[in-house]
Amino acid sequence: MRGKFLKVAVAATATAMLATACSGGSDDNDSAGQAGGTLRVYASEPAFLTPSGGDDEPSLYVIRQLFRGLVKYNAETSAVEMDLAESVESDDQKLWTIKLKSGYVFDNGEPVNADAFIRSWNFAAYAPNAQNNGYFMKRIAGIKDVQSEDPDGDGPKKAPEPKAKELSGLKKVDDLTFTVELEEPFSGFPTTIGYPGFFPMAQACVDDIAACNEKPIGNGPYKMDGSWQHNVAINVVRSDSWKGEPGKPDRIEYRIFADVDAGYSAFQAGELDVMYTLPPARYKEAKAQYGDRMYELPGDSFTYVGMPLYQDDFKDKRIRQALSLSIDRQSIIDAVFDGRFTPATGFVAPTFEGAREGVCKYCTKDVEKAKQLLAEAGGWPAGKKLTLWANAGAGHDQWLQAVGDQIREALGIDYELKVNLQFPEYLDTADKKKFTGPFRLGWGPDYPFLETYLYPLYGTGAGSNNSLYTNPDFDALLKQGDSADSIQAALPFYQQAEDILGEDLPVIPMWFNKVGAVYSENVDQFVWNAVSDADYGAISLKQN
Amino acid sequence: MGRYVIRRLLQFIPTVLGTMFLLHYMTSLAIQFSGNPVRALFGDRTPPPALLQAITERLGYSDPCLSQRGNPCFGLFIDRLQNIFLHFDFGVNLRQREVTDLVADAIPFTLKLLVIAIVFEAVVGIAAGVLAGLRGGSFVDYLVKISTVFIISVPIFVLGVVVREFVGVKFGNILRGQDWIPDLISVGVFTPGFKPDYPFASLLIPGMVLGAVSLATTARLTRTSIMENVRADYVRTAKAKGLTNKRVIGVHTLRNSLIPVITFLGVDIGSAMAGAVVTETIFNVPGIGRLVTMAARGGESSVVVGVVTMLVLVVLLANLLVDLLYAVLDPRIRYE
Repeated sequence: MRGKFLKVAVAATATAMLATACSGGSDDNDSAGQAGGTLRVYASEPAFLTPSGGDDEPSLYVIRQLFRGLVKYNAETSAVEMDLAESVESDDQKLWTIKLKSGYVFDNGEPVNADAFIRSWNFAAYAPNAQNNGYFMKRIAGIKDVQSEDPDGDGPKKAPEPKAKELSGLKKVDDLTFTVELEEPFSGFPTTIGYPGFFPMAQACVDDIAACNEKPIGNGPYKMDGSWQHNVAINVVRSDSWKGEPGKPDRIEYRIFADVDAGYSAFQAGELDVMYTLPPARYKEAKAQYGDRMYELPGDSFTYVGMPLYQDDFKDKRIRQALSLSIDRQSIIDAVFDGRFTPATGFVAPTFEGAREGVCKYCTKDVEKAKQLLAEAGGWPAGKKLTLWANAGAGHDQWLQAVGDQIREALGIDYELKVNLQFPEYLDTADKKKFTGPFRLGWGPDYPFLETYLYPLYGTGAGSNNSLYTNPDFDALLKQGDSADSIQAALPFYQQAEDILGEDLPVIPMWFNKVGAVYSENVDQFVWNAVSDADYGAISLKQN
Repeated sequence: MGRYVIRRLLQFIPTVLGTMFLLHYMTSLAIQFSGNPVRALFGDRTPPPALLQAITERLGYSDPCLSQRGNPCFGLFIDRLQNIFLHFDFGVNLRQREVTDLVADAIPFTLKLLVIAIVFEAVVGIAAGVLAGLRGGSFVDYLVKISTVFIISVPIFVLGVVVREFVGVKFGNILRGQDWIPDLISVGVFTPGFKPDYPFASLLIPGMVLGAVSLATTARLTRTSIMENVRADYVRTAKAKGLTNKRVIGVHTLRNSLIPVITFLGVDIGSAMAGAVVTETIFNVPGIGRLVTMAARGGESSVVVGVVTMLVLVVLLANLLVDLLYAVLDPRIRYE
């Protein structure tokens, strides 16, 4: 009976806390929270539970407990720490040598050795396997040969077989050592390999990927208890074969909800211990109701209004600066989003190492300056409407309209909204560079290194460079950063590159999200990892 | 009778094919006008073209007709029919799971929900209707009339959310605070949604919500029908013969009064399926309704076509059964 259990638990913890306070809390076990109990968490239906397939939030939350990779991230500083790797080193930032710790095994007894990683990365990269995380292997040498080229670029019925089955950049040295050759030098490589797409996979898993997806063969602190009950629940229990730091709860139950409101009701009814997200409409209510049991911190999801630099009207940077200067971000956040965002003053999430405030000099409202810049640039074509783009059905029209109103008020430019495209077509329009005006898009980091906010979005020829921005100085600085000796040495170059963006404004930065999570009275210590978000294995429950 | 059933079954063929083509055409149009749903899987990250191509092909969205607006994609339709009827292959969803697996996972929940809903509306609805119909103008009659109007006028998505918040969360929390109430009631029944630990108990309230709207209609239908039949000649005759009141009401009146009610309940299986789309989402029941909702939102045409075709078959079969039941209830009806 939960009601009874709770009262006892609360009383017991209160006593325990007093006792700890007296003894000074020198015991390691006490300060880190006690092990035991069942943690029940909110989840939505994952896409895939294999490292090569799962690239969405609900999948990653499960995969991170079932699997472990070469490195992990510090919960507070987001610094890279070795996990399964003994060392990750390179002299030229291009050829990386990875040494593994010995003794780690998969749940089925297979060793976690160099082959396990090479196998997993090859499997993800090989295009005919159609694995979502193939995207993340793009830096490794030989990636083009395992992805067949589309001959006419127009989607023929059958793509030809790729030239190679395996990435030429992955080479095994001995059982616990392998080398990774990248296409281009990249100093941030060690930060990328903590992403679940780089986690190892057992041979048995690759042999029957469908079965492995239903009941993953992991190598992490938890293992599956039964199969994945689709749309209902995923249960994991502490794994005996894991040699690293054990997880706190004995068992984690992921309860799957199709609707975040239904999940919140279940939380209110005491059925869940952690909810990593909240229904937007109930954010304020939750804050009032749960107070110190609500966890709030700046997130890393970036919303921007892109500038179609391929249209003549937006080629002059003073026009882009004028548009950005006429927007009061905080007032939109307060009016439309109940304050659930933080205004962006730069291009990199404030939580990232190397992020600075005020990189963008044009990101606070200054109508006088905006008017002046617009006049210098020769004004806006008379009578022409500014078309603001967003995808349909996601509530973007509301804030975009506020943006349009502010621009009209400040600069006298009339606007129209183009918000009727569904997401797939909208993205297709972005890929084909067919926007006729400023467009809404977002970005989330792939790895905790500020480069992830720079090259993919603004590098010449980069995949998600939807503005078609190109600046040789910017590219050169990124290159210098990529081939710097260490992560620390690379930061200044990237920061200079970000300064260029702050002047050029290929996109207008709008805001970064705020993370709001709530946890129940059963939770003793709530742990949120700056990179991988709620760390269920590290959350301890009150014991009685 | 046998010939009638065969004729009806043959009529299923054009109905099912027609439905399938409509579904196929609508989902194809949706893709033609809103773009390749596979691209949306990657969101802001522009995927390498080769990878996008490979996944599109794997999921069955690579037919070139899907990029020609207005094209009815007959070729794709024929392929689809062949796969479904010759190989029993309904295709995969965007997460590469077989549609047949998805349905197999979901159907037990929906069946349980439907049974609860139908039993609830039949038992409570008919009982309320009989009580009200036999004593027209009494307190019970007014109670039934007013409460049913109240239920009918509240849309199911409002009723569902209100019940979830007030019965499941608020009232449930009070119950959960009382130690003497067994867990089955406090944690199992009065819950804001489906719970794997209480697979049946936690479906009771969602089932009742699903049945509520039809319950009101059932009660009103029964009431009117009873009132009409109580004054009928054969009932007066039965009474005059000196039969007991129980027999007059139970056999003579009720049996004839239930014919329209049975029809309604049969047809209602179909609309209950539609209601399940809303109820299952509100109460987080992992059934067919929630499956269709998610598939329609994500543009998973194979799932929509496959599942809705199966639903159509269910509705057709239910209607056939109702028609056959007619003959059992009313000896005047014969099928040649």
